[in-house]
Formats: sequence, C-alpha cells, structure tokens
Amino acid sequence: MKGIFSVLVENRDGVLSGISGLFARRGFNIDSLAVGETEHHDVSSMTIVSTGDMRTIDQIEKHLNKKLDVIKVRRLEENRSVLLEMMLIKVQYNLSNRASLIELCNVMGAKIVHLSPKNMVIEIHAHPETVEEFIELVRNFGILELQRTGTIAMTKA
Amino acid sequence: MNGAQAMVKCLEAEGITNIFGIPGVAIAPFYEALYHSEQIEHILVRQEQNAGHAASGYARISRTTAVCCTSSGPGATNLITALATAYADSIPLVAITGQVDSSLLGRDVFQEADMRGATESFVKYSYLVKRADDIPRIMKEAFYVASTGRKGPVLIDIPCDVQSQELSRPFEYPKEINMRGYRPNTKGNAQQLAKVVDAINHSKKPLICAGGGVILGNGEGVVREFCEKNRVPLVSTMMGIGVLPKSHPLYFGMLGNNGKPYANRAVASADLLIIVGARIADRAVPRPENLERQLKVIHIDIDTAEIGKNMGPTLPLVGDVCNIFQSLIDADIHIETEEWIRRLEEIKTGTVDRRHFSTELVNPMYMVQTLSEKMEDDAIYVADVGQNQLWSADNYVMKNGRFLTTGGMGTMGYSIPAALGAKLCRPEAQVVAVCGDGSFQMTMNELATCAVNKIPIKVLVVKNGYLGLVREFQQKNYEKHYSGVRLYDYPHYEHIAKAYDMDYVECDSNDTLDEALDAFLSCGKGCLMVCHVASENLTI
Repeated sequence: MKGIFSVLVENRDGVLSGISGLFARRGFNIDSLAVGETEHHDVSSMTIVSTGDMRTIDQIEKHLNKKLDVIKVRRLEENRSVLLEMMLIKVQYNLSNRASLIELCNVMGAKIVHLSPKNMVIEIHAHPETVEEFIELVRNFGILELQRTGTIAMTKA
Repeated sequence: MNGAQAMVKCLEAEGITNIFGIPGVAIAPFYEALYHSEQIEHILVRQEQNAGHAASGYARISRTTAVCCTSSGPGATNLITALATAYADSIPLVAITGQVDSSLLGRDVFQEADMRGATESFVKYSYLVKRADDIPRIMKEAFYVASTGRKGPVLIDIPCDVQSQELSRPFEYPKEINMRGYRPNTKGNAQQLAKVVDAINHSKKPLICAGGGVILGNGEGVVREFCEKNRVPLVSTMMGIGVLPKSHPLYFGMLGNNGKPYANRAVASADLLIIVGARIADRAVPRPENLERQLKVIHIDIDTAEIGKNMGPTLPLVGDVCNIFQSLIDADIHIETEEWIRRLEEIKTGTVDRRHFSTELVNPMYMVQTLSEKMEDDAIYVADVGQNQLWSADNYVMKNGRFLTTGGMGTMGYSIPAALGAKLCRPEAQVVAVCGDGSFQMTMNELATCAVNKIPIKVLVVKNGYLGLVREFQQKNYEKHYSGVRLYDYPHYEHIAKAYDMDYVECDSNDTLDEALDAFLSCGKGCLMVCHVASENLTI
C-alpha cells in the first residue's frame, strides 16, 4: 500500500538527514520526498510518499513521530487529499511531429516554457499519476532531460 | 562567563557530582571550568568507551542521568560503542564531546569527526552547539530528553571556540522546557486501559512478560503489587531480571533462547500475555508471529514505535509503567488463577535440564548460583557478554539487589567499567563484575581507574581460554572448526591483580569453590578471582 505523510519539522540543520537516515536504516522506501519552508520560517513541511505493507506504513508513522525534530505527522488518504507534482521535461522534436507534440501538451494541460529549433522544455503540474502518463506519452518523441519535484499533498478538508 | 563555565554551571544545576571522561585539546576549556567546580568530581578512565559504560553503570544504579565526556575526533568516536550500547538498553546519558573550532568544521582538520552524523542512529537526540548563549537551553533539554519517555543517550558536540566564547547575557538555567516535537505520553489512554482490564478479566491463564523498561521506569514495586494482588504470574526477559526476586512464588524465570525452558512453556500455555517494557527481540521471542496467532497479547510500552515493531499486539497501551500499573491495581479485576499457577508449578518442577556439564574444573552454573546466593541481599551483579552472561542470567539468584548487563547491544567489556560506575554511585554496596577471559581483556585497563580512585570492585573471570560463545557456535554450526577463538593462557592473572593492587583468588574445582568465593567476597579491597571452567561447557 501507499503511505502519504505530511510532516511538519523544525527548520534546522541536520533534520532532513535525520529523516532520510531513518528511512534508510529501517529499510523503509521513499518513493518521493518534497521539502520546503512553511509560512513560519522556523518550520518546514515535508511530503513523503512511501510504499510498504500496512505494518511498515504504521511503523513509518510511529518512527516519524518519535523524532524530536518532528512537530506533527499526518497520514493523508489519497481520495481525501489534493496531490500535486511538478515536472520539467526536455523533449526533442522534428517538423513532422512538432504539431502532435504541441497538441499533446494542450490535451494534457502542459505548458511549453522554452522552444529551441530541435527541442522544447515542457512544464506540467498535475496529479503524480498524470505526470507519469505524460512521461509515457512523450517517450517516443525522445526525452532528453527530466526533473520532478516529488509529490506535495494537502487534505481537502 | 564563557560557554565552558556555563556548561559546568548547568551540570551542577542538574545535581551532577561525577563525570567520566578523557580530556583533549578540543575539550580543554570545559576541563578548565571543571577544575574550578567544587561539586563535580571527574573520573579519568583509560579509554573513552569505558567513560560511556561507567556512566551507564552509574545511571542504572542512581536511576538518574549520568554524564561522560571526551575530546574530538578519535576520543569522540571511541565513545560511539558505549552510546550505541546505552541506546539499545535505553540508559539515560548525556555525552559531551569536544569539537574543532566552528570556523574549521567540515574541513577535515586534525581530530575532526562528524559526531552528529556518526551517532545519528545511536542517540536519542544530538546537538552541535553553535553559540555559547544556547548552552543553558541545550543542556536543560538534553537532560530532559535523556531522562523522560523512553530514556536514552543524548549527545552534545561542542566546538572548542564556543566553549571559550563569552555569554552575551547573564547565565540563567532555564526552568521550563519548550520542545514542540517532544511530548512523551505517560498516561495510558483511558479507553485502551478499559479494554486491557476487560481482557484480563476474561483471561484464565494470564502471564506478564516484564522487560528492562519496567526497571527503567522504576516500576518493580507496582508490577509486583499488581501480580500479588491479582495472582498473576510473571516471566522476564534478560533485561527484566530483578522485577521479581527469584524466590517469588509468582516468578517463572527468564524466557527466550537462553532462558528457562519452563518460562517458554509458560508463554506457550498462557491465553493472555501482558508484555511490559520489552522489545520482543529475537533472542527473547524467536518467532513472534506464532505467538500472535496463539494468544491475546497486550503490549504496554512508553515508546509508541515499539508497539507493532516486532509483533502485532491485540491490544496496545502506551504510557509509563508506574501510571499504568497503578491504574491496573486500582481497577476492578477479578480473576481466578490458582489452577493456572498450579499448572505452571507443575511445568517448572517437571522440566528437566538436559544440559550436560563437564565434571572437570568448576561448573559455571553452580558457580553463578553459589556466588549470587553468597552475595549480600542488595548487592549489584554486573554480567558481561558471552557464555558468562548467559550462565549468569540463567542462574543468578536475584534477591533485592540489581542485575546489570547489556542485553540489547551485547557489548563485550561492559562489566568492569559499568561495575566501576555502579560502585562509585553506591560505595557501600557489594559490586561484582562477572566476565569471560575475552571480555575481561577488552576493558581490564579500567582496573587502574578503580585503583587510583579507590573504587574497590570485585571481578570474577570465568576463564576457559576461548571466546567461549563463538566457540560454542562454531562447535554446533561449523563442525568444530574453531576459527580465531582461542585465547590461550594469557594474561597471567595473578600478575594483573598484583599490578593493580588487588587481592587474587583462583579456583579450579567445585570442591574448593565455596572457600574461594568466601575469600573473594570477604576481602576488603578490590579482588580479582579466576574460575577455571572447561571449554566444552555449553549454554544451551
């Protein structure tokens, strides 16, 4: 199963390494990890996505809570949360397939942020699954470079 | 006032009277401040690891937080094994390590080691102090974190220049703690507690499994009262030895691989197992998934993360052992367990120990039993690691003293420094360290610390010329290919005793054991006793 954790932590040195070290040491997976400061400069927010059996996901929550630099842990349910990820992807094109690539971007809600004679940099921010789909759709054009931010998430209520 | 002086002030405010350590340049300002303290006595150990173990022994006997300190680099890294040991056994320590000047951090200068990074998984929390003004808050937090919730070691790594830096405001030791990420839950959840009471009331064959957490939480009294009031029998883990005296009619021994077979059969025959302050580690319960299927399990622990880690309990209950057992004592519990206790007594008397012991030399089981019977009622017995630990745990006759060992990390060499710390804490108590000839040689240098500081501990070496437990493993699993385990006949122990001004006793037969142990226990100063045992003796 998938576990999505929204974690508020002290914005201090060593905290990120402590959290990532916890995952490494106990053999928990990190599918994605996104970190940034919140509206309070001394608090950072992390969204951590992990997969494992129920016991593992429970243990992740407990061990995160045990960390002294962790202020709050929330486990998010996918259908009650907004999940978003951003990606920059550089795709090559030629004259014959350029139109279909642009059309694909329009359909998927992606934005072309830079255009060169042979490639374009496309930005998409969407549900992580949509981002996955988009990668598959443009794969045949030729992906030159790709960067994803990792999932960020928030409860709807 | 500079940072180092502030550190000493903080330690004094925490009531610290002894610290264990070895100085160096990177911790020199702190030692200068310590020099002027009238309250704190520094005990110079002979290797930094032993500073940690000695503090551990002191902390376990005083039931408070103890302090050790080292310099930077190798001095600090030497301490790591002791920190890992204390972490595994949840012993409250504050470890202070010197660090290179903050302007040089990260440049790999002389004796720089990244202690926060290196100890990330071995300490409960750690600090790298950046400003002298932060010292009072950090020290206050460190003692609070080490001694509350699930106890454990806290590291304070402090650059040399920060120790010398002047505080920008008058020194004040904080009264309050404000850590928003750390609020240990000590009171059990009322609903869960009601469910636990209900489960106990519905059980016919309840059994408590007490771990080291009961002792760490000072819960021996309440657990005992609960057992006696409701006639609930108890088994213990190795770290839980001492929750009930061995002679107690409701005590059915230590469980696990190296425990009493009847304790394991008691667990297998119960219908409700109440685990308190135990990790359910592999040596105590090799197949927790089987237990999960067989019986109802209540798991009580101060650490939420322990619950479900190794075993999925039917009923978890998070909180402090004293609070929870006081609630359970006050609860309306009516169970009839006499038949169950009779059954356990039958199991106990009907279980035959099939272990074969060599008739040569001293029988180690008999030795531990006789020694502990002869020891004073409130004596402290520190078992090392190896065959000596397993024979000790299995045969120790617990009266009203303490049994100390490292059950979590299993660190060889623990017994001598830990006994030193224990004896320093309770000078009037009889303190005996029991070790093998392998573990003895890992920390025998601390006999000098004992001699210099007049800390007369008694050390009994169970000598068989081998790293016995590894030899036993090789005998069973590698067709007696004894690889790298032979210690031969060195050192000459009588010379070691003489070198450290200790009395010396030697015994090589069961017939003279009584007499030898009497001499060992009655001598007024430090004493080294060697008990020769046959290398063929096994623990299981």
